[in-house]
Amino acid sequence: MESTTSSRPLPRTLALLIVLGVLAAVLFSIVPASIFNWLGEKLNVFATIFLGIFIEAIPYLLLGTLASGLIEVFIDRTQMSRFIPSGSFTSALAGAVLGLAFPVCECGVIPLTRRLFHKGLPLPAGIAFLLAAPVFNPIVILSTAAAFGWGKMLAWRVGLTLLIAVIVGLVFSVGKNDATSILLPASVLHLEVQEDAPASLLEKIRRALVIGADEFFEMGRYLVVGAILAAALQTFLPQGALLAIGGGPLLSVLVMISLAFILSICSTVDAFVALGFVGTFSFGAVLSFLVFGPMVDIKTIIMYRQVFRTRTVVYLVVFPFLMSLLAGLTFNYFFPG
Amino acid sequence: MSPKLYRSFQALLLLAFGLFLIEKIFSGKLTWYINMRFFPLTLIGIALLIVMALAIYLHDRLETHEEHADHEHNTTPLANLIFLLIPLLIGILIPARPLDSAAVDSKGVNVSSPLVNSTTSTQQMQIAADQRNILDWIRIFDGNTDVTPYLGQTANVIGFVYRDDTLPANQFYVSRFAIVCCAADAVAIGVPVQWDHASALAENTWVDVKGPVKSTQLNGHPAPLILADAVDPTKQPDQPYLFP
Repeated sequence: MESTTSSRPLPRTLALLIVLGVLAAVLFSIVPASIFNWLGEKLNVFATIFLGIFIEAIPYLLLGTLASGLIEVFIDRTQMSRFIPSGSFTSALAGAVLGLAFPVCECGVIPLTRRLFHKGLPLPAGIAFLLAAPVFNPIVILSTAAAFGWGKMLAWRVGLTLLIAVIVGLVFSVGKNDATSILLPASVLHLEVQEDAPASLLEKIRRALVIGADEFFEMGRYLVVGAILAAALQTFLPQGALLAIGGGPLLSVLVMISLAFILSICSTVDAFVALGFVGTFSFGAVLSFLVFGPMVDIKTIIMYRQVFRTRTVVYLVVFPFLMSLLAGLTFNYFFPG
Repeated sequence: MSPKLYRSFQALLLLAFGLFLIEKIFSGKLTWYINMRFFPLTLIGIALLIVMALAIYLHDRLETHEEHADHEHNTTPLANLIFLLIPLLIGILIPARPLDSAAVDSKGVNVSSPLVNSTTSTQQMQIAADQRNILDWIRIFDGNTDVTPYLGQTANVIGFVYRDDTLPANQFYVSRFAIVCCAADAVAIGVPVQWDHASALAENTWVDVKGPVKSTQLNGHPAPLILADAVDPTKQPDQPYLFP
């Protein structure tokens, strides 16, 4: 059944490759060599940045997909409904704090959320989990504290993230309260047929690892595309130009939000990067970087699009953007410093 | 592609990723991509890759009735394999090179590093003058209001040559990249150097600069300026970046 779907696109890819090859040959003969030197150098920069993002993200993505595999194997749907309350608000709140149990970043959380939906997690809880878990988990709390200390920045980062996650979770609870309404049809996992005899613990772990590997391949594909885009943007769009826009209560927040979007760094380490901007940017601007980055960036949008319907992706981007912006502006205008 | 063949390729690719990372560690090139402090994380990643490959291999041998275990493939699995080949191909086909002056062009050189605030300059004061690196010198000049105790001290720093239009012809930047998490957040930092033969230096070559430090202003920031006695070509250090 798979061979029919997978073999069809191949000839088209092959034709495309040949066309590209011919185009490249023509280009080589027309364009002066200096351009290729320049491109060659840029290609090196691109490769280093791309591999930087990718090597950094691989372990976290693997941990996320492994967690998803373990949930698939060890938790069944009845247990899920016992743990998570069914009311919209309480369920969103429960989803938002669920992150404490799962140390994942914004790449790993996506397959994990889909898996939890599959296990019967209510819609508001899943959305709140998706947005909050990349910040509200032990690893990120510790790394933020390591960078900024146990103080104002950490408290506001966690507090705002939870608030935004719960609000967006509630937005999704309006209307059909069913996860299949936001997932792409192709992305809805089919129910496991578990008529086999109960497997041994070792066998269960092995199965979890295989499921994790499958999801690593499925999600890794979009991580690759996202990292390519982010690296290309950084190679050809001078970061200095963005930072030079700098000041102003509104612009500084917009700059930091765009930077979080373009850099696409993992939420588990972004606090150390944000620390570097403390002197140059206001508290509100840096806070918006720390709140928005883990929810939305280039690679997560690409990965969201793989799992969720387009309208859901738009909500998942627009609401966090507006609320992060609002939070940054509030601090810049009313509590500068 | 038969499920069995797909499984084999999957396991192979996972192993290849693991080997790729192991090679980067042993060749010392891992720090060209990520900060040293995330080294343990990469080890966890390698362990998971190998264990997953092993699990798939066992899976392959134990279960012949793959069909029902494979129900979760929504996208064409072959495409997944091809996409995950891309990072390996980029890593193998494009010769590994740390970020250099070609990257400064898009990132811009900083004389006052935004990374300055992460540590107080008292730490830099305790380092002997000739042991301080570029980042230490920049921190001192950005963090202290009074830099007179440092003026005239002899600096000895290593970095690559970078020029831009804002500097006079007899000056260049001796630069390094500072990396907080990975190459994506690299910031180029540089200390201006004054040297009579500055224009003879090729861009991007690694040099060892020695000379007394004086104070200057660049883009409205106080910055050190090295009046070089000697600028010697040197090898690229094993760790080309600085980790604040």
